[in-house]
Amino acid sequence: MKMGILVLEGPYQHQAADSAYHFVKAAQARGHQIVGIFLYTDAVNNANRFIDPPGERNIAKRFDDLAAQGIPVVACTACAKFRGLRPDLKTEHVRLSGLGSLAQYLRDADRFVTFGD
Amino acid sequence: MNGVAVVMRKAPYGSVYTAEGFRTIVGIAVFELDISVLFVDDGVYALVRGQDPSQLSMKPLGDGFPTLTEFGVTKFFVHDQSLAERGLTLKDLVMDAEIVDSARIAQILETVGKVLPF
Repeated sequence: MKMGILVLEGPYQHQAADSAYHFVKAAQARGHQIVGIFLYTDAVNNANRFIDPPGERNIAKRFDDLAAQGIPVVACTACAKFRGLRPDLKTEHVRLSGLGSLAQYLRDADRFVTFGD
Repeated sequence: MNGVAVVMRKAPYGSVYTAEGFRTIVGIAVFELDISVLFVDDGVYALVRGQDPSQLSMKPLGDGFPTLTEFGVTKFFVHDQSLAERGLTLKDLVMDAEIVDSARIAQILETVGKVLPF
């Protein structure tokens, strides 16, 4: 089954980003395809390449790893601008793009799951 | 056409959710998605007339929703119980919307299939 993902919360403050990651891993393990992950509002902070938590899971690296595998992971350009996440601060494989990407994932997916508050 | 339900659940200024829900509707409406907008729980406050968040240095949200028809978004549903619990009626709202009960909300979400909760 094709699945699309929307994340609405940033790293560490809220479980949404962790849950999204674990959901994606579990879905992949069951043979489902992830058509895209859209990082919206504070979730763009999950794509900050300077995230460096001593002794803890690195949430930014998790999403970057998913993107490196070939899953489209997009952080909202406007949300990034609002939060000072300049393109040079972004993790390597996550792309900045607009709501058109979200619309595309909504169209491509059989199921769509949102992780937020 | 692909159906999407955008659900407003939160009060309009306490978090960015309602504002971003609105921005999402505008952003995805041009991509041939059949959008239904639902207002439940504190989300019904997003439609209340006369909002003035100027002292918060924020822009009023309510007036934006009636303009969504210009983007081809015409399906608006407001949960009856959420309105009643807050002492509101259709007359308090900035626009005409279909007042629906919980069963109808469930039916809409099931029919549409893809749901974006804000």
